[in-house]
Amino acid sequence: MKSRNSRLVLLILTCALLAAITVAGVLLEEKALETDLSRCNEAPSAAFLFGTDWLGRDMFCRTLCGLSLSIRTGALTAAVSASVAFVLGTAAAILGRGVDAVLSWLTDLVMGIPHILLIVLISLACGRGFWGVILGVSLSHWPSLARLVRGEVLQLRQAPYFRVAEKLGVSRLEAVRRHILPHILPQVWTGLLLQFPHAILHEASVTFLGFGLSPEQPAIGVILSESMRSLTTGRWWLALFPGLALAVVVLLFSALGGVVSVSGLGRGEGSPAPVS
Amino acid sequence: MFHVKQRGLFFVVLIVLLLTACGRSVGPERSERGNQVVVVMAPTSEPAAGFDPAFGWGAGEHVHEPLIQSTLTVTNPDLTIGYDLAERMEVSADGLTWTVTIRDGVKFTDGTPLTARDVAFTYNMVRDSSSVNDFTMLDRAEATASDTVVFHMNTPFSIWPYTMAIVGIVPEHAYDAGTYGSEPIGSGRYRLVQWDRGQQVILEANPDYYGEKPLMERVTILFMEEDAAFLAVRTGAADVVYTSAVYAGQAVEGYGLVSYASVDNRGVNLPVRGNPLTCDAAVRRAVNIGIDRQAMLDRVLNGYGTPAYSVCDGMPWYSGVNEVACDPEGAKALLDGAGWRAGADGVRVKDGVRAELTIHYAAGDSVRQGLAAELANQLSGLGIQADIKGVGWDTAYDDALTNPLVWGWGAHTPMELYNIYHTAPGSDSALYSPYRDPDVDRLMDAALRCSDLEESYALWQQAQEKIAEDVPWVWLVNVDHLYWVRDGLRVAEQKLHPHGHGWSIVNNVDRWTWQ
Repeated sequence: MKSRNSRLVLLILTCALLAAITVAGVLLEEKALETDLSRCNEAPSAAFLFGTDWLGRDMFCRTLCGLSLSIRTGALTAAVSASVAFVLGTAAAILGRGVDAVLSWLTDLVMGIPHILLIVLISLACGRGFWGVILGVSLSHWPSLARLVRGEVLQLRQAPYFRVAEKLGVSRLEAVRRHILPHILPQVWTGLLLQFPHAILHEASVTFLGFGLSPEQPAIGVILSESMRSLTTGRWWLALFPGLALAVVVLLFSALGGVVSVSGLGRGEGSPAPVS
Repeated sequence: MFHVKQRGLFFVVLIVLLLTACGRSVGPERSERGNQVVVVMAPTSEPAAGFDPAFGWGAGEHVHEPLIQSTLTVTNPDLTIGYDLAERMEVSADGLTWTVTIRDGVKFTDGTPLTARDVAFTYNMVRDSSSVNDFTMLDRAEATASDTVVFHMNTPFSIWPYTMAIVGIVPEHAYDAGTYGSEPIGSGRYRLVQWDRGQQVILEANPDYYGEKPLMERVTILFMEEDAAFLAVRTGAADVVYTSAVYAGQAVEGYGLVSYASVDNRGVNLPVRGNPLTCDAAVRRAVNIGIDRQAMLDRVLNGYGTPAYSVCDGMPWYSGVNEVACDPEGAKALLDGAGWRAGADGVRVKDGVRAELTIHYAAGDSVRQGLAAELANQLSGLGIQADIKGVGWDTAYDDALTNPLVWGWGAHTPMELYNIYHTAPGSDSALYSPYRDPDVDRLMDAALRCSDLEESYALWQQAQEKIAEDVPWVWLVNVDHLYWVRDGLRVAEQKLHPHGHGWSIVNNVDRWTWQ
C-alpha cells in the first residue's frame, strides 16, 4: 500500500501532465489546422515528430490538439453527467416513491440502450458537430453514477441524524445540503474522474465513425479514422502515435480516478468506485 | 475498465493490419482467364435500386451505358450521337415531335422480340416514375408502327438524343417495378446472372445480341472500399481495380496504373448574392484567374487530372472562353481596383467587410477536402482569408446558397449547364447557387428549342461566354479516373469519363481482350 504522500505526488504529476497537454493543444490549434501540400506524407523526423499526413499537416500538433480537445470535452461532459447523476440520484431517493419509480425507469431505459448507439442518435439529432458530441456523451453517461447516488442517499435517509433532522422540520433542500451533500460529494468526485476516460473514448469513437466533429477538426477520432486509409500504403505513423497518445491519456485518467478513490481524498478505504 | 480492454484489442488488430500491409504481395498467378474479367468498383457504384433505368441504372447522376439493356442512341467517343437501337431519327421543325425508327430482329433475353411498343412503354414509364431524371419535356411516347416510335414533346428539347442514350429499353410484357431491378430482362450485350447485394454482380454475354458478339464473355464486378480494393490488387484477386491518387505512388508487380481522362470536374460555387465577399464580381473574377490549377493538381491529385475551366471541358458544346492563364498579380490588381485593400494582417478589407470565406466540402471525401484546403491556401496568397469546413449532404445544399461548396459534376449532356446556370422554374435564381442572367437563360432556352443539334452546340457555347463574364462558379480540376489493370488485359479506348468513378469503365467491356 502506497503512502498517502506518494499518492499525492502521483496525483499532482498526473494532473500537471494532463494540464500541460490541454494548454499546449489550445496554443497549437492554429498550427494544427494549417495545411501545406508541399510537405505531405513525411515520415516522423526531428522537424515533425509524428510525421505529416496527406494534407501536409503536422501530426504532432494535431495529436496534441486532438488530445486537448478530448480532455476539454471530457471535462465538460463528465461534469454535466456527474451533475445530472447527482440531481437525479438524490431526487429519486428523497422525493418519494412516485418520483423514484419514474427516475429509476428512466435510468434503466438509458442504461438499456448501448452507449455508442445513444450517442450517435443524440449527436445526429443535435446537428452533429461539437455540441452534438457534447450533448450525446453527457446525456448518456449519467445512469450508473445516478444509481449509485440513489443507493447511497437511500441508505443515508435511514441514519438517525437525518431522521432527527426531518422530525425537527428541516426542509428537504436544507437537509440535502447539510446532511447528504457532504457524504455524497466524494462519490461524485470519484465518479466524475472515472467518467473522464469513458467520455474521451466515446467522443473519439463517434467522431471516428463520422457522427461527430467535422473532418478538418484536429480530433483524435478524426485522426484515427483518416489514418485507416493510409495503413495499406504503409504510413504507419498516422495511426500509431495518435493511437498511443490517446491510450496514454485514458490510462492516466484511469489512474487518477483510482488514486482518488482509494486515497483519503475520496471518502476513505473501501468506498465503491462507480464503473460501468 | 471494459473500454480500455476494447481499445487494447483495437491495437492488436492495428498491428496485425500493419504487418500484413508490410508483407510482400502475392504475385499474380496467371490462371486460365479465358474471356473473363473481374472488375472492382466502389461500394457506392452498386445500384441501390437494381438495374432498372427508372431508378438510376445508367441514368441520373452517374451516366453510363446500361449494358443489360439497349438504348435508342449512344454517345460516340467524341460525345456526338450515334445509334444503337435507332436506325433513323427525325425532328419536326417546331421541335415538338421526334420520330425514331428502330432496327429489326432485336430480341429480349427471354426470347420475345423488342418492338416500338416496348420503347413507347419504357419512355412513358420513366416519364411517370423516374426518380433520377426529369422527363417533364416529354408529353407521351407512341408506337405508330412496329418499328416506329413517335415522341410528342411538351417543349422543344434539342438534346433529346442525349436523353435517349441513357434510357435502357425494358420489355412491356415483363416489367414490374417491384422486381425488375433485381431480375432485369433486356436486349443488351450482357445479361445479369447473379447479384449478391453488397458484394458482386456477375454478367454474362447475351448469346442473342444483335450487334457484334461480345469478346469478353463473363464480367464479374466486385464492390470494395478503396483500401480493400488495393489489397485485391496486391493479392492478384482482380483484373481491373479502381484506385485514387493516394495509392498511385505504389508499384504492384503484374499490374499497371492506368489513368483515364474525365470531365469529372471539381469546382466551387461563388454565390453572387447572400455572401458579402463573393457578391462582388471583381472578387469572383480575381479568384478565377488568381488560382494555380496546375499546382492544385500536382499537390492534391499527384498530377492525375487536368485543369478545369468549365463544367463541360472537352464536350462538343464546350466553349474554351474561360481558359484563363494563372495570373495572381492580375488578380491582386483586380482586387485593389475594386477597393479591397490589404489590412494590417494581410487580409483585404472593403467598407469594413473583411475578405473572409468558409469553403465547405463533403465530409469524408478526401479529394474535395484536399482541394478545399489547397484553394484556401492559395486564396490567402491573394489576401482572402479562407477557412474550410466539412459538412454532410443533408446541410450542404442549403449552406451552398451563401457559402462556396466544393462540387463534382460532369455529364454527357449539355443539360448539366442548364441545371447549374439556368434560372430554376418558379424561382428567381439558379438551383444550386444564387445566379441569374436573363441573357444566359435566353441563350439556353434557344439552344433547347433548336431543331439542329450542331446549331444548338453554338448556342450553348454563347451561353458559356456570357457566364464567363460573371464567374458564378470557379472550376478547379478534372479528376482522372485511375485503375490498376492487370498486365495482358487490353482495355478498349474510353470515352471521356463523366462524374462518378464507377460503371463508365465497363461501357465497352465487350471489346476488351486478353493478350
